[in-house]
Amino acid sequence: MPVLLEAAKTQDLVTLIPWTFIAQICNLFIQIFLIKKFLFKPIREILDKRRAKADADITEANKAKEEAEAIKLEYEQNMLEAREKANNILADAQKTATVKSEEIIREANQTAIALKAKAEKDIEQEKRKAVNEIKDEIGSMAMEIAGKVIEREISEEDHSKLIDEFIEKVGEE
Amino acid sequence: MDINITGPKILYEFDWGLPVLGNFRITETLAVSWLVMLIITGLCIFLTRNLKVENISRRQAFAEMLVEMADNFVIGNMGEKFASFVPFVAALFATSVVSNLIALVGLYSPTADVNTEAAWAVVVFVIITAQKIKASGVGGYLKGYTKPIFVMTPLNILSELATPVSMACRHFGNILSGTVIGGLIYSSLAVASAALLGLIPGAVGDLLSKIPILDVGLPAVLSVYFDWFSGVMQAFIFCTLTTIYISNASEG
Repeated sequence: MPVLLEAAKTQDLVTLIPWTFIAQICNLFIQIFLIKKFLFKPIREILDKRRAKADADITEANKAKEEAEAIKLEYEQNMLEAREKANNILADAQKTATVKSEEIIREANQTAIALKAKAEKDIEQEKRKAVNEIKDEIGSMAMEIAGKVIEREISEEDHSKLIDEFIEKVGEE
Repeated sequence: MDINITGPKILYEFDWGLPVLGNFRITETLAVSWLVMLIITGLCIFLTRNLKVENISRRQAFAEMLVEMADNFVIGNMGEKFASFVPFVAALFATSVVSNLIALVGLYSPTADVNTEAAWAVVVFVIITAQKIKASGVGGYLKGYTKPIFVMTPLNILSELATPVSMACRHFGNILSGTVIGGLIYSSLAVASAALLGLIPGAVGDLLSKIPILDVGLPAVLSVYFDWFSGVMQAFIFCTLTTIYISNASEG
């Protein structure tokens, strides 16, 4: 070691040595190459890969979202259609019911009117019949009265009494 | 006490005797530079082992952070079109920082040799000139020296040359001054402790005065500034100037 130390010369403190200068330029370029190859290239590759993956994930997510939205839209449309259908059915049913009820009422009215008319007709008939019967009765009564009158002298008193009786009878009947 | 600040030791000399270039000497500068390159490359390889897309390790996160920081720094200073300069600036910064800090383990800092900074500055100067020629053509580049008036040409040439010289000298001067100040502090504190402990009479004083007890502590604190802060700062300044000069040059 001492031999080496004695032999070691030193360069001047501030001096340009062409070879050192050139070697340092070469060193710088070698260092650029090395740092590019061993740090920047792998790191950039991994960053690009990650970015690509993130992009793919986002695209996938977007696609899934679109699909979900399409499904939702379809579902909503179906719901809307179903609701509409239900409303239509309800409305139809109501309409049918109204029509039917009106028909029933109308029929009932008609029946009632017919019944009433028939009843009136019957009453009228009965009345006429009754009047006819009374007429007959009056006839026979007149006959009877006439017979009685013929059988005996009737007093004035009896006379009026008879008339009253007759009228009373007529009224009763 | 003598303080001896010397240049790098010459470890081996090839006896080529070429004209102008002279002998090829392997100095401490070159040896430590290679070590620095090994350290940086080893660190890069270590950091980028086992890279994963998901669920990354802290080591990978750190490596990614370094890359992003380099990207942000270069693109922030130079713009998107200079993205290809990121490895260059990163290499410059890493080499500078590790070279500056390697002095802490007692090795000769390659940046304490002006050849290193001169080499970097010349590379930057070539890039600046290339960008200027690319931006305005050879004619436009040469014409730029006569602006604003013809008389200014010598001054313009001088200022153009001053760019790499100032960059190299700024960095070199700071690192060298750190070394010089470190040496001064160490030796002055050794002298001070010798004087202080020499006051103790008798053989005990003689013995103790040989131990530079004051060298413990204070130099470490000062080294935080002169080695750590200054070392990182100069690397940062050199890279900032590089990026700004190059992007300015491309704007014509």
